[in-house]
Amino acid sequence: MPSLKDLKTRINSVKSTQKITSAMKMVAAAKLRRAQEAAEQGRPYSDRMSQIIGSLAANSDGVHGPALLVGNGKSDKHLLVVISADRGLCGGFNGSITRLTRTEVSRLQAAGKTVNLLMVGRKSADALRRELGKLYIDRLEGIQGTNVSFADAYSIGATIKNGFEAGEFDVCTVIYNKFVSAITQEVTLTRLIPAEVESGKELAVDGATANYDYEPEEDELLASLLPRNISTQLYKAILESSASELAARMTAMDNATRNAGDLIDRLTLVYNRSRQATITKELIEIISGAEAV
Amino acid sequence: MMAETTQLELVTPAKIMVQKAAEMVVAPGVEGLFGVLPRHAPMLADLARGVIEVHENGKIVNRYMIDGGLADVTPKSITILAERAEDLNAADAADLNVRADNASEAEAEFLRAVAASL
Repeated sequence: MPSLKDLKTRINSVKSTQKITSAMKMVAAAKLRRAQEAAEQGRPYSDRMSQIIGSLAANSDGVHGPALLVGNGKSDKHLLVVISADRGLCGGFNGSITRLTRTEVSRLQAAGKTVNLLMVGRKSADALRRELGKLYIDRLEGIQGTNVSFADAYSIGATIKNGFEAGEFDVCTVIYNKFVSAITQEVTLTRLIPAEVESGKELAVDGATANYDYEPEEDELLASLLPRNISTQLYKAILESSASELAARMTAMDNATRNAGDLIDRLTLVYNRSRQATITKELIEIISGAEAV
Repeated sequence: MMAETTQLELVTPAKIMVQKAAEMVVAPGVEGLFGVLPRHAPMLADLARGVIEVHENGKIVNRYMIDGGLADVTPKSITILAERAEDLNAADAADLNVRADNASEAEAEFLRAVAASL
């Protein structure tokens, strides 16, 4: 049985932990609103971009075309872009990214492919360093939160494009947490190269895709559009991941605050009981002392 | 009677910047400026760095500068995807000149020309 003083200290320490978690929860909630707005406002751009690419791609036969669209015909070397958070204390957010990365890498390696990793965000990079560290081609930090700029995505996109053109990999995939709602995030794999094309979507209201005029020519247009699409998809992934991170942290901290509250209640009960027990014991001693006289 | 209009949308990765009806939109294509009127033939065009002009009642009402982009033209609408866009009604010539001093050569030249036209 811990002494009354021990219990008191324990309760105070849990109380201050609870203050911290509830403050973190509120900070995450405030930031989440902005990040969510950013993610939602970024969607029209990337959606339209993929629509246009989809309709352009529908005209090509899927074999001849820019390599960024149809690939270079091989799939021996894979690059995975893994987007996690720089900070922890956000529930299963980083864990699920790490887990999917690990399964994906072993799946590809079992199929005899070479895999390289480009890690964005510190947590997953740290978690996987021991087992997969030699596959890292780069680690990037500080690209998240509410101030993600398109320039960041652009520079990662340029790295990827150059690597692809230099033949360092044949297929490029992004792993990130997609923001569904404040309580749900979905770990998602999106293929960047060859471009993932949503078919069956018509570009024009009139559905007259074949009658489109192109300026400059179709293939030139595609050539300038595809690198841009890579940056756009990356930017979208980073925005979604930032919003998911904050949502995950908010939920995790909410749970932690509630757990701390439960723990305080339980400890207070024990504290009161033992205080009562001490008083009763002292009373019995006094009474039996008085009777003995 | 209200003249026929085409629906202009200017979208950047950060947000939808502009959504409005316009009588004519002039955009900087890589092969030269082109104007888009209502009932324009469907077209996809690559855009260069330049200024988009929105015309209403025969006058320019809004100007936006973009750093390259893509225009999707249909008979009823023109959608412009641009990575960077700025409303020139809110821009300040002195500020643009300062930015021009810090920018690369080609961009500086463009920024000064825009500043001079304000």
